[in-house]
Amino acid sequence: MTDQALFLKHVSVCKNKNILLADIDLLIGTNEFVGIIGPNGAGKTTLLNVIAGFEKFRGELYLFGKPQTWRRSRAERLSIGYVPQLTQIDPGFPILAGQAVMTGAVGRCGLFHKAGKDVELEAMRLMEMMRVSHLARRPLGHLSGGERQKVMLARAILQHPDVLLLDEPTANLDIAVQKEVLNLIDEIFERRSLTILFVTHDFNMLPTRLNRALLLKEGRKYFDGTVMEALSGSMLNRLFEYRLETFERGGRRFVSYD
Amino acid sequence: MIESVLEALSYPPIGRAFAACFLCGASCALLSVFVVLMRMPLIGVSMSHAAFAGAVLGMLMDINPFLSGFILCLLAAAVLGPLSDRAEMAPENILGIMFSFLMGVAFLGMGILTRSKAQALSLMWGSLLTLSSADLVILAVVTMLLAVFIVLFFKEIRAVLFNRRLAASSGVPERAIYYALLFFTGAVISSNLATVGGLLIFALLVQPGAVAMQLTYNLKSFFWISAAAGVTACLTGLAASYIFDIPSGAAVVLAATLLFTLAFVFSPKRRRTRSGANKSIL
Repeated sequence: MTDQALFLKHVSVCKNKNILLADIDLLIGTNEFVGIIGPNGAGKTTLLNVIAGFEKFRGELYLFGKPQTWRRSRAERLSIGYVPQLTQIDPGFPILAGQAVMTGAVGRCGLFHKAGKDVELEAMRLMEMMRVSHLARRPLGHLSGGERQKVMLARAILQHPDVLLLDEPTANLDIAVQKEVLNLIDEIFERRSLTILFVTHDFNMLPTRLNRALLLKEGRKYFDGTVMEALSGSMLNRLFEYRLETFERGGRRFVSYD
Repeated sequence: MIESVLEALSYPPIGRAFAACFLCGASCALLSVFVVLMRMPLIGVSMSHAAFAGAVLGMLMDINPFLSGFILCLLAAAVLGPLSDRAEMAPENILGIMFSFLMGVAFLGMGILTRSKAQALSLMWGSLLTLSSADLVILAVVTMLLAVFIVLFFKEIRAVLFNRRLAASSGVPERAIYYALLFFTGAVISSNLATVGGLLIFALLVQPGAVAMQLTYNLKSFFWISAAAGVTACLTGLAASYIFDIPSGAAVVLAATLLFTLAFVFSPKRRRTRSGANKSIL
């Protein structure tokens, strides 16, 4: 495995004559924790979809040095874990929280191979790590939004990915639950040797372990550097075209607005 | 009354009708799990009309109606599958267009059919008493293949039913599973044209799954309950049709609706959920 987890060269996505991503060049090393930040419509989710193999694109994309298209082999898909935004689920849907976590292991078990007790134990351990093991036998549709997102995190890690893509995992959660989920994401980064890409438009709710920020605007790379630089007032004013003020507390930078 | 039903079963056409009802209930009910959980009842409607239109065209061209119905079902699936995957097109509109187009094709075919239209109409309502042994064998094979598919790929099916995108992202061949489901939808519908017909089959593609939805949070139980509901509705409907001399298709649909009503009224899901009801998270 190389030190280069992801390499994108001139990656563009165009749909119905709309440019969603334009000429993105990006090199992400292993064990980097990158925040992809930008206003709505900046191309954050499209970029994540390209990396996950959900979106057709032009240009070149390399995953651990291997060229990729949007069609991926099972092994290539397994190496990328994905946690979507909080999605609605029918409260009557026949799946328990523990079973939802176990779906993360279906691909790696392969066809005709049942997940064994070891996988079930691992799923339980991950649910403990995410503080949701007591909910394992509850229907997933009965859980709160925060609990469901923790289940989704456990599910993604059970897949044993090398890269974890988090698409606004704290969106639509209340502030306390957002912080709790962010702390768990930090914990995942500390305990697992993973490369994490974290998409958000809320720069006050960033994981503390984030070590790089990529700002996108109108489908283009606007800035790529440290989180402190990205969260400077002048940078954000230009990015959002809105007057924003920043202040520092505890070595971190926060943003306020009128 | 039971004696007269048992006596009737000893006649080959009635015996075949009984067996066909059992298989029809089982196959449609297994499929209805996917129709209900993937929220694709309109796909079921469109495919059933594709099968009906294909069978009418088959009669026009002197081809086996099952075969022509199956082929048109697969063609419909080949169009519906990729289109419903494309986010920029509203699937309801595509299905609405497909549904009306196929109905138009079916009625056009019936309009220009020179021979008796009774056979064509039987494809719409089904004709249990005129089933051939070949119809029964085809239905048995399709039901068995569907059951084997569900058993062999249960964990993949659960992942796809839960969330197609997440399943794809974790290395599950979700497209293959989805297209296999569309294939089975075509096969089940076209092989049941002779039993309940292209119109009434829709009830059996939704109601058994809807019954199971009221009763369990466990997917394995969901399949069993749905199959039991489908078989019960079909057999009860057939028995009611024989005893009260009423149309069998209508009796089956009404029996299925009654089962759903009972499941809805007595649904344990509507009461407080008890944690720990299932022992294993698998």
